[in-house]
Amino acid sequence: MIDAPALQVNDLYKSFGDNAVIKGVSMDASRGDVISILGASGSGKSTFLRCLNLLETPDSGDVFLAGEKMAMKRNRRGHQVPVDIRQVEKMRSRMAMVFQGFNLWSHMTVLDNVLEGPIYVQNVAKAEAKEKAYAMLERVGLSDRAKYYPAHLSGGQQQRVAIARALVMEPDVMLFDEPTSALDPELVGEVLEVMSNLAKEGRTMLVVTHEIAFARDVSTKTVFLHQGEICEEGPPDEILKSPKTEQLTTFLSRLS
Amino acid sequence: MDLIVEYQAQLIAGTVMTIRLALTSLFIAVILGLLGAWAKLSNSRVAGFIANVYTTLIRGVPDLVLIMLVFFGGQVTINAIGAATGLWGYIDISQFIAGAGTIGLIFGAYFTETFRGAIMAIPTGQIEAGISCGMRRSLIFRHIIWPQMVRFALPGFTNNWLVLVKTTALVSVIGLQDLVYNAFTAGRSTRQLFTFMFATLVIYLLLTAVSDVLLRALERRYNRGVVRTN
Repeated sequence: MIDAPALQVNDLYKSFGDNAVIKGVSMDASRGDVISILGASGSGKSTFLRCLNLLETPDSGDVFLAGEKMAMKRNRRGHQVPVDIRQVEKMRSRMAMVFQGFNLWSHMTVLDNVLEGPIYVQNVAKAEAKEKAYAMLERVGLSDRAKYYPAHLSGGQQQRVAIARALVMEPDVMLFDEPTSALDPELVGEVLEVMSNLAKEGRTMLVVTHEIAFARDVSTKTVFLHQGEICEEGPPDEILKSPKTEQLTTFLSRLS
Repeated sequence: MDLIVEYQAQLIAGTVMTIRLALTSLFIAVILGLLGAWAKLSNSRVAGFIANVYTTLIRGVPDLVLIMLVFFGGQVTINAIGAATGLWGYIDISQFIAGAGTIGLIFGAYFTETFRGAIMAIPTGQIEAGISCGMRRSLIFRHIIWPQMVRFALPGFTNNWLVLVKTTALVSVIGLQDLVYNAFTAGRSTRQLFTFMFATLVIYLLLTAVSDVLLRALERRYNRGVVRTN
């Protein structure tokens, strides 16, 4: 199992009512892969990401994290449900997520936001957790803001705190759900810079994004989703420079 | 003034009764309110339906009618059930229990709406952030939902509490010797009703003023991290 991919997704399906959003998506991420997931709005890319940590429950399909399968069963109505919620919680803590809207806990200071996971989910001793938290804040360049509340920070700073909050869990995989889409243009750079540094360190990352430059320069693999299916995938410089499908060509021409 | 001093024991006893009654009612109301909010927000249709019937019924009927219904009707009903089933003998509902129970029941309906609104005001993203870092439901409730719910609920809570304190005056109709009852009795027997009602007014104002100060302090505590944009 040592060689198991960091994250493996087999044939994932998800629909909301009659609306099929994900129609059989499979994906492998080896350790150190940075996979950028592109697609027009409504292509299902965020839903796909949210199915991985069960913020949305997929209709079918398997998710493996470092070879460990997220065990699911069917309830009486035929819906998928976790076999063991504790296992799911454990696996979630190893797949930290960064959201479009930051989602920092507004009643906690920056430091407490970062401390919450280590202390209450991973049961790390307070002193040790504090040391780690400060180290992570240092990494995202915000250790001087530890005692601030989220509302006193800019969007870019909030998102960097959210990245520190994810990072401090020492996750196997980091999931980024359009991390720069809610930011003012001048704040996008600081967040992308932090993310590039993480990529250079060899972190395994799945990044749903609209930032073509980030996909091209940072990711090791690009996946283009169209109407819930993988339309095209491959090394970013190949598929972004010479897209084979009409859909990706259209998508790229709209962005530039 | 001499009269007030002469009757101070009754007035103090009445005030203590009013405070005890208000706090007991509040306790019942908060528990019913939390249950009601939970029921209304849960996926269970049955729970939601029961909670809706409860709040609709209570909020549509005058408090005085409910108090008399519970005090007179409740006692008859409980004893009728006891007699029919033979499970218990004659039970005498004390005025305090009837009063606190009814006021708790009434304000539970108002607190249900206050708490429901407060929970709905918490951004779902913050709960999702908790879920996605592996927090258990109980931890999410204690660390993310509860502190913010309190913050969003406090203004409505303060309002409900002040109305509740005043509503306790209604229990004098079932003979509970609260502040109003004692002041009214003293006023009638001395033929100085105005003096005693004025004293009552001052005492109620003091009670609500003290509540206001305490609740404001609580609001400050729970408002940490909130930026007011004026």
